[in-house]
Amino acid sequence: MNIEHVSEFKYRILKEGKMRVDAAFYASEGILEDLRSEDYASLKQICNVAMLPGVVEPALTMPDIHWGYGFPIGGVAAFDPEDGGVVSPGGVGFDINCGVRLLISELSRKDVDPSEGRLVEDPQRIGLADTLYESIPSGVGKGRKDTGFVREDLEEVLVEGAGALVGRGYGEPKDLENIESEGRLPSANPKGVSNRAYQRGVSQLGTLGSGNHFLEVQYVDEIYDEEVARAYGLSEGKVTVLIHSGSRGLGHQVCQDYVERCMEAAKRYGIELEDRQLAAAPIRSPEGKAYLGAMAAAANFAFANRQLITHFTRKAFRRAGFDSEAHHLRVLYDLAHNNAKFEEHGGREVLVHRKGATRAYGPGNEELPERYRSVGQPVLVPGDMGRYSFVLAGTEGAMSETFGSSAHGAGRKMGRRAAKKAAKGRNLRRELEDKGILVRAANRATIDEEMSEAYKDAAEVVDTTDRAGIGKKVARLRPLIVVKG
Amino acid sequence: MIRMLDHTADVGFELKAPTLEAMFDEARRALLMTVFERPPRSGEDEDSVRLSAPDLETLLVRWINELVFLIQGDGFVPVHADVRIEESGGEGFSLEASLTGASLDVEGHGWQGEIKSATFHRLDVTNESGCWQAQVILDV
Repeated sequence: MNIEHVSEFKYRILKEGKMRVDAAFYASEGILEDLRSEDYASLKQICNVAMLPGVVEPALTMPDIHWGYGFPIGGVAAFDPEDGGVVSPGGVGFDINCGVRLLISELSRKDVDPSEGRLVEDPQRIGLADTLYESIPSGVGKGRKDTGFVREDLEEVLVEGAGALVGRGYGEPKDLENIESEGRLPSANPKGVSNRAYQRGVSQLGTLGSGNHFLEVQYVDEIYDEEVARAYGLSEGKVTVLIHSGSRGLGHQVCQDYVERCMEAAKRYGIELEDRQLAAAPIRSPEGKAYLGAMAAAANFAFANRQLITHFTRKAFRRAGFDSEAHHLRVLYDLAHNNAKFEEHGGREVLVHRKGATRAYGPGNEELPERYRSVGQPVLVPGDMGRYSFVLAGTEGAMSETFGSSAHGAGRKMGRRAAKKAAKGRNLRRELEDKGILVRAANRATIDEEMSEAYKDAAEVVDTTDRAGIGKKVARLRPLIVVKG
Repeated sequence: MIRMLDHTADVGFELKAPTLEAMFDEARRALLMTVFERPPRSGEDEDSVRLSAPDLETLLVRWINELVFLIQGDGFVPVHADVRIEESGGEGFSLEASLTGASLDVEGHGWQGEIKSATFHRLDVTNESGCWQAQVILDV
């Protein structure tokens, strides 16, 4: 692998072999060391992506890069439809349109955490944690029955996204203004979604899922950029809620269905695949169009899922004694980190795949809500449950270098089995309580797998992102309550 | 034989068995070991699965995904499987399985978390000197 050090945090992998274009990645010394220690396995994956037809230079990875299946996590690749460019269902991932939504409240930390972390046996905070856990099921064994949704409801959700739920009273019209693409990808085709996907989705709308999905009640503990923070409505001490979930079984099924279809299509169109999980079809082919229609439908399910979770979060706050006037939870922003979208970059329309990467449009972009347009879009970077998450802003650097993309999280550094092994003999739930963080999880395994030590330090990821100019640090959020599926 | 793998972001397993059917059954056992701390050993419910695929890798992915669906969607935990695999006249392979299962008990079985899907990443089904082998990575 021929790696060129371009500038302090930017590297270029010069094309060789079957690569059609160069690849580029962003890393600090520490991140580079992690990449070396895995013998550049994740970077080899982005080189495989750079071999696909119609890829636009460069194929990229963000600072939270880690090894995935097919695409690396943290991978960004744009494809030109006019140049035989392809769409890859595996490049979007199984959890189509998985993303994060940040709610901001009018509550301050002392309302939720009067003892400032010393006393976790605070009855109102415990009540809030329990109510949130009961109100937002993980979705396995415990689907959502209280909404009574049937297939017809789902069909509308797949076309209308979050708006279908607002129309049914689950949220406020204003919520939609602060969602990427206003909570709805156009050109969704619900007929391209299989019966099994519907079957999996119908009881899972409004459920969190397991693994790294979560809901956190947090507070703003540090502001790095006053002007942008003001535009976002963030100030020190304010209580926020961060929701991380995706398209649940419906999205997983859509991906499964179309990976196989695209594998057959790849053979027919003579697309050579270094890894079968990179199965792809030309964007303009019937198979490519069919996937994009089904993918948009699944993406709309994901937007709606986070909308329904928002509704039940507001309800849980009320039940725990924080009435609507007091909490006034509003959507600060909702964005996706697993999708493929048509966007204009460098004067042409390209299909940008983001696999574990966040759209990060900079100032002036007309797609952004007016209130954020002058400062760039909020970029939400969750860390691990024991430390912190970050709010960044999209930058001009991201627009010119990374197809308007930035990091999406801390990135794992330890496998799940290794994490469980490391957690043996420890009571992580108690350790977190000692740090003032209340955890509610379906089982111990989830807490162990998601331990802080299993993740890279999100601070290193966002510092690298900030110093590389592809995102600007705005604020840091600390967890008070963590709900895991 | 099952060897669990630890992929950074996901989980996986390596399988070895003397017959193809036995290897597919090992995949079922490995899946239960992945999603449960205490997989149930007996059950009285019954179900059946019929699948076909153009190659053995795709058949294995579909088999695992079918079992994931039965567990996570239907709450049916397949504790025993009688698997039959046939080559279908040069057009790939077909699988039929009779399953005995238990009802999903999230707490009782020590649920470890959802599986999104089996993947084709690094997937390879081979037969070396009469021993069937495969490696599967799951997205969790």
